[in-house]
Amino acid sequence: MTDNNVTAAKAAPSGYKIKNHSAEKAKRFVGKFFIYFALVLFALWILAPFSLVLVTSLKTAKEANSLDFHWWPQEGFTLQGYEAIFEFDLGSAIDGVPIIIMGFLNTLWIIIPPTVLGLFCSAISAYAFAKLRFKGKNWLFSLLLFTMMIPGTILLTPSYTIYSQLNWIDTPLPLMIPGMFGAATCVFFMRQFYTGIPTELMEAAKLDGMGYFSMFWRIMVPLSVPALLAQGLLGFIGGYNDYLAPLIYLQSPEMYTLQITMNLLKSEFQMTNTPAMMAATTVSIIPTIVLYIVAQKYFVEGIATSGMKL
Amino acid sequence: MYLNNVYKKRSKAGRAENVSGLLMAIIPVIGFVLFGLIPLVLAFVMAFLEIPGRGGRIEEATFAKLENFEAVLNDRMFWKSIGNTLIMALSLPICIVIALVIAYLLTKKIKGVKVFRSIYFIPYVCCAVAVALMWELIFNQSHGILNAFLGLSRDEAIGWLTDSKYYLPVLIVIGIWSGTAYGIVLYGAALTNVNSSLYEAAKVDGANSFQSFLHITLPAISPTTFYLLVTGLIGALQEFTRPQVIGGGAGGQGPNNDGLTIVFYVYRNAFSYDGTMGIAAAAALILAILILIVTVINFAVSKKWVSYD
Repeated sequence: MTDNNVTAAKAAPSGYKIKNHSAEKAKRFVGKFFIYFALVLFALWILAPFSLVLVTSLKTAKEANSLDFHWWPQEGFTLQGYEAIFEFDLGSAIDGVPIIIMGFLNTLWIIIPPTVLGLFCSAISAYAFAKLRFKGKNWLFSLLLFTMMIPGTILLTPSYTIYSQLNWIDTPLPLMIPGMFGAATCVFFMRQFYTGIPTELMEAAKLDGMGYFSMFWRIMVPLSVPALLAQGLLGFIGGYNDYLAPLIYLQSPEMYTLQITMNLLKSEFQMTNTPAMMAATTVSIIPTIVLYIVAQKYFVEGIATSGMKL
Repeated sequence: MYLNNVYKKRSKAGRAENVSGLLMAIIPVIGFVLFGLIPLVLAFVMAFLEIPGRGGRIEEATFAKLENFEAVLNDRMFWKSIGNTLIMALSLPICIVIALVIAYLLTKKIKGVKVFRSIYFIPYVCCAVAVALMWELIFNQSHGILNAFLGLSRDEAIGWLTDSKYYLPVLIVIGIWSGTAYGIVLYGAALTNVNSSLYEAAKVDGANSFQSFLHITLPAISPTTFYLLVTGLIGALQEFTRPQVIGGGAGGQGPNNDGLTIVFYVYRNAFSYDGTMGIAAAAALILAILILIVTVINFAVSKKWVSYD
């Protein structure tokens, strides 16, 4: 744009200079206006459902179930929806703990240990694949890459059968144990990262008598904290939002993860108390949205790098 | 082989590297063998077994030849589930185009880019269950917000989620809403990596911005488009949560079984319907082959339009 302006100004006789300039300016203004218009419109499209959910969660059940919709609750704001879901428990089965809180705690318990341990296993494996020489390295790495190509659906029935033989059904183990070994995608991306770290660092450490594990722990890990955080966060969000696996493996309500307790809440409130259902929806997405806002940089980096490597 | 011999001849230090390298690298590989490779082999075996009981009692299984495959391929519902899945997948190309346009607009020098970017990414971190409930609020027939906006009375109210005419289009809309975030981030990164000297050269040659977008930007970001297409299709073919949670009709498969996706079909046969594990395994195997074919076609066609330079 600016370049065009300069050339236009240079080429035109001095009399036209000002006119051309303002025409350019007007054109640019119109262009900018349309860009903003499109971006704001798209932002509204993304945000509208959230605000509808939030507004509805603050209405009385009667108003929410009526035919009319108002952006501002006509019968006043009320927290009855939130109260309803935080009061809903399964009785003595779980000592009267509200199922939404129980679901959240179950989710954390089921996700955090595999995420942390899996991240460690993936990272150390990625380091070995990137920096060390050992027998069978290429062969093992291709085996790992092959994992990434298997569609999850095909493993559904055989995994269930295996876990059933191990008596793991209706325990959190099928959701926890596999992740603790690390994830092929994570190994792949961390390996890319470690390959980029100069080998001279390791040579120097070797002269100082450092072992391979200390090199990993004291050199590689500190250098890769942002990448590890990005992978960890993506793993956490993936686990938090997982639906199919907990749906299949968890059968007792006291073990349900948050996503599955939503089904219980749905059958309780869907017909009678829409605000409660929307309160549950709001509560269920708050943790991930807060996490996203706090760690936005790592998320976006994690995704942007994951997509660049095909 | 030759390299292995070289390793062998190296000193004690080399042997230490060999051992610790293997020990460090092996854990995810063990996990893959236990929870990936063994189930994968079993998946092929199970597709040829008749396994009685809900959830499957594998110890009572008998060899069923091709009966499971016959059952799946003769089941009208299986073909319907393929159709439904493909229709829902129509949101993918729309997502890709929107993501590209938005990411392109975000490269322009404007204020508040960061804010826009943050907003656009939010659907990515929202769980599919919440997204489904969110849109159910909007599309519900009796007290849905869309019907209220359209000013429809109770008699005229449209059953967006209960009428087969609207159900799949509505799911496409929901798919578009949740699917653009990922593409915007990837395209954002790809667009900033396009060599800017190319644009200047084009400008010197008298190309307008649309021409340079068509002839420089699009080819330069074609690997990203390809990646989005491949991963997006693999994901779309395994759609499950959204239709399962929304499910207008009984059992969650929507009106006229329109919400029945392939994975839903597998799930229903294995865990909640009167099918068997063997039939579910056969259907999953067919799905895996379908995914393989689609991906291979994708890679073959990509040679014509994806440029890696």
